[in-house]
Amino acid sequence: MNKNNSKEYDVIIIGGGVTGAGTARDCAMRGLSVLLVERHDFATGATGRNHGLLHSGARYAVTDPESASECIKENMTLRRIANHCVEENNGLFVTLPEDDLAFQSQFVDACKTAGIGTEILDPDFARRLEPSVNPNLKGAVKVPDGSVDPFRLTMSNMLDAKIHGAELLTQHEVTDVICEQNRAIGVELFNHAKNEKVKYYAKIIVNAGGIWGHHIASLAGININMFPAKGSLLIFGHRVNKMVLNRCRKPANADILVPGDTICLIGTTSERVPYDQIDNMFVSQADVDVLIREGVKLSPSLATTRILRAYAGVRPLVAADNDPTGRNISRGIVLLDHQERDGLSGFITITGGKLMTYRLMAEEATNLVCKKLAVDKQCETAEKALPGSEKSDLSLDNATDKIYSGMSIAQKSAKDRHGTLAKNIAVGDSNDDSLVCECEGVSIGEVKYAIKELHVNNLIDLRRRTRVGMGTCQGELCACRAAGLLCESLEEPGEAKDDLANFLQERWKGMSPIAWGDTINEVQFTSWIYEGIYGLKPDNN
Amino acid sequence: MKFDNIIIGGGLSGLTCGIKLAELGKKCAIVSSGQSAIHFFSGSLDLLGKVNGEEVSNPLESIKTLADNHPYQRVGIDNMTRLADEVPQFLDRAGLKFSGNANQNHFVLTPMGVMKPTWLTIEDFTRFETKDSFPWKKALIINFSGFLDFHTLFIKDGLKKLDVTTQIKNVSMKQFEAIRKNPSEMRSTNIAKVFDNGDALDEFAQKANDLSEGFDVVILPAVFGLLNKQIVSEIKAKILKPLVLLPAVPPSVPGIRSQILLRKRFQALGGTYFLGDNVEEGFFENNRLVAIATNNHGDIKLKADQFILASGSFYSKGIVATRDKVYEPIFGLDVNGETNGSEWKDEKFFNDQPYMHFGVKTDSQFHAMINGEPVENLFVAGSVLGGANALKEGSGAGISLLTSLHVAEQILK
Repeated sequence: MNKNNSKEYDVIIIGGGVTGAGTARDCAMRGLSVLLVERHDFATGATGRNHGLLHSGARYAVTDPESASECIKENMTLRRIANHCVEENNGLFVTLPEDDLAFQSQFVDACKTAGIGTEILDPDFARRLEPSVNPNLKGAVKVPDGSVDPFRLTMSNMLDAKIHGAELLTQHEVTDVICEQNRAIGVELFNHAKNEKVKYYAKIIVNAGGIWGHHIASLAGININMFPAKGSLLIFGHRVNKMVLNRCRKPANADILVPGDTICLIGTTSERVPYDQIDNMFVSQADVDVLIREGVKLSPSLATTRILRAYAGVRPLVAADNDPTGRNISRGIVLLDHQERDGLSGFITITGGKLMTYRLMAEEATNLVCKKLAVDKQCETAEKALPGSEKSDLSLDNATDKIYSGMSIAQKSAKDRHGTLAKNIAVGDSNDDSLVCECEGVSIGEVKYAIKELHVNNLIDLRRRTRVGMGTCQGELCACRAAGLLCESLEEPGEAKDDLANFLQERWKGMSPIAWGDTINEVQFTSWIYEGIYGLKPDNN
Repeated sequence: MKFDNIIIGGGLSGLTCGIKLAELGKKCAIVSSGQSAIHFFSGSLDLLGKVNGEEVSNPLESIKTLADNHPYQRVGIDNMTRLADEVPQFLDRAGLKFSGNANQNHFVLTPMGVMKPTWLTIEDFTRFETKDSFPWKKALIINFSGFLDFHTLFIKDGLKKLDVTTQIKNVSMKQFEAIRKNPSEMRSTNIAKVFDNGDALDEFAQKANDLSEGFDVVILPAVFGLLNKQIVSEIKAKILKPLVLLPAVPPSVPGIRSQILLRKRFQALGGTYFLGDNVEEGFFENNRLVAIATNNHGDIKLKADQFILASGSFYSKGIVATRDKVYEPIFGLDVNGETNGSEWKDEKFFNDQPYMHFGVKTDSQFHAMINGEPVENLFVAGSVLGGANALKEGSGAGISLLTSLHVAEQILK
C-alpha cells in the first residue's frame, strides 16, 4: 500500500486510449509532470475497435457540420504529424441504385461549407479508379478520406509523451478517486501484474476513460450521463478496395469499407447496449448478416472474400446534462470541468468525440489543465511530428526503397509499422532477421524491439504493437514462436504457456462469429497443433 | 480409365485403404489433392487417449463406453481388436517402425513438456511407460541457433515438474548459413534436408557429444530423416548419450517421411497415385457411383467397382461450411451438422466444439448416403466421418487407420 505516494504529479491521466495518449503527450510537451494509468493495455477500448478511418469529415457534413469541419482540420494535421500511421488512400461516396441521387448535391454543398474538398466523378471513371466498387453505381464523389492505424497512432503518442518525461503504467486499474473535501487529489490503483494496490497523487486528474469514464467519474461521486453504443465490424482477409468506400446517403449501418494494412474492413452497426455489458462485447449473427448484406452492396466481391474476424467496440455517447433520457445525444467533443459542473475541483473529464479528433480533444483538455495550474504554454501537438513521422529524408528513403530491393520483407513491414523508429530494430544479424510471423512479416528483431521499448506485457499486447497473429493464419504458427520469445525475456514458461492459451482464446473470439469457410478450416488446424500435438490446456499449463 | 477401386484422398486413411486393397490384389487408384494431416503428424498414432476428459489406460476396453454412432462402434469391438493388432505389421511392411499396444496406452513427451497418452509411436520418438516420471535426471536440450519452431523453455518447464534438471544450449552450424539468410527458410524440413545430404550430421553429433558431457540424456527437435530414412538411426548411433527427439512446429519431418513411405508402398504394390488432382463430380446410376470426373483428367472419366471417400475433415476440405450449411463438396452426400451456424461452436476455444463432430453420414457398413439412401458402392473412411471429436478423444489416427482397414475388408468380402 501507499507506494510512491511521496511524489505528486501535475496531472494523472486515466485511460490508455488515443485520447489519454494524446493528452499525456500534450501535457508533457507543455512541461507538466504526467502519469498515465491504464487498466489493460494501450488502445484496448474503442480506440482499437473501430474502422481505422482517417475521416475527411464528409460523412458528417450534412448531419453534423461542426464535427465535419473538426474532422477535416484534424485529417490534414494527422497527415503531417502522424505520417507513418496514415495511408492517404482517398475515398469515394457512391450513390447506389437504391439511393437518391438528389442527396449528392446537398452532400457536396455541405462538404464545401465544412471546407472538405470534393470532386464529382463520372460513374464510369469511378469504376476505373476503384474497380472493386459496385458497378451499378449512379454517382461518385471523391473526398480526402484515408486510413489510420489506431494502435500505431496511440503508441506513437505514448512514446512522445515518454520522451517528454511522462510515466506510463499499464495493467493498473483505477479502484478509487481519492478526494479531500471538495478536491480530487489522487487515484487508488490495482496493479494486476503484481496483485497489489498502489496510490498516486496529482494536482489534476483527467478522466479519459472513454465509455469507462462513466464508472471512473462515479468513483469520484460524479454522474455523467453516458450511453454505450455498440458498433460491430468485419475484417476481410485482404484489401479488396484501394480507396475508402462510403455510401452517399445519411449515415446508416455498414456503409463504410476501409482498406488498411493487409486487410479491409466493413462497419459499423449501431446498437445501444446496457452499461453493465460494456466489457462483454460480442458480435451476433444478426450483426454479421447486416454487415455482409450491406457490404456486398458497396463492393460485390466481398461476398466471396474470406472474412478473418468480427469485432465490436463501444462508442462513448454523452447525453446533455439536461437530458437524462439520452435522446439528445452529442457525438461531439465533451469536456467537463467538474469544479464548475459538480463542485469537485482537480477533476476533469474528456470524452465523446472520435478517433479523428483525439488530438483536438487532448488540446482542449490540456488547455483546461494548464489554465487550472496557471501554466502559460501554447499547444504544439499540431505542428510537431510524432516519433516515427519525423520528416528527415523520409521521402528520399521511400524513393530509394522502390528502386533498391535489398530490404527484406520484414524490414519493409517494420518501416511501414514504425516509420523512422524502424531504425531502432536490429537487422542484418541472421538471428534478428528470422521471421516470427510470416503473414505479416514480423522479425525477431521487431519483436525484441517491441518487448524492450513498447510496454509489452503479453502476447496480445505484442499483437497490437507488431501485427503478430493478425494475418490470415490468425496466429496458427507464429503465436507459439512469439510465446517462445516472450518466455526468453519476459515471462515465466508456465505463464507464457497460459498466455499462449489466452491468445488463442482471444483470436477465437473474433473468429467464432464468422467460423465458416476457410476460417473454420484454419481454426480446426490450429486446434490440432496446439491441443493435439502440443498438449496445451486453457490454463494452469 | 478403369480400376477395381478408387480412393478419394491421399492422407493416412486413403493410403491405408489403398495399400490394404492393393496387398490383396486389387487394382487401385488414389486421387490426392496434395498435403494431408500426416504432414503435421506428431510421431504418435492415437487410438483413444481420453473419454469425457479422463485419460484412458486401455483403449480397447474404453471403446465400449463410446456412443453408438461413434465410428469405432460401427466397426465393432471384435473387428477393432483384430484390426488394431494388425496395424504395426501393416506399417512395418511400408518401412515404418511403430511400437505400442492397443490394450495399454503408453506416453510421449509433447513439445510443451507434458506427457500425453498414445497407442503407437514411431521409432524416432521415445516411449514412456508412466506419465509422472522421466527415466533421466539431467537433461540437455539442444536447439539450432535461429530455429524458432522448437520451444526449449517450455520443455524445460515441463521437465522441471518431473524433477529433471535441464540445461539449454544453442548450436550454430555453418551448413545452415544458406537457409538462415532467408528469414522464412529456417524451418524443420529445410534443416532435415541439410542433414539428409551433407556432412553436417557428423559435425553436429560431435558438438552435441562435447556439450552433453555430464548429462544423462540429450533432447533435440525432430528434424532428422526427411527423405533419407537412415538418418534417424545414424544420429541415434552417433550421439553417445540416450537421445529423445521431440516434435517441432509443423510441417513434421517424420510426418512427411511417413507419407512418402506409405505412398511408395502403395505404388510398389501397383497402385496409381494421382497427385495434385481434385475430384469434381460423380456419375450415379441406380444407387451406384459408376465414374468420377477429375480436374486434371478432364473428360476422361475414372471408373471403378467401388469408391472410397477418405477426403478428411474441414482443414482437408472433405467437408465444407458456409454461413448456413455444412456440406460434402464432391457428391453432396448426407452430412451430420447443424444448419444454424451459431450452434456450430462454443465460445471457449478449448471446449468440445460441436463442429469437430461434423462429417459424412453412413449406414452401419460405412456406405455413404444421399437423401437417406445408401450408395451401395461408395464407402466412407477416416476423419471425413462424423460422430466423434477426434481431437478431444485422441482418436484421430485410430479412426483413420481402423475405419479404412474395415472398409477395405468390406470391399474384399
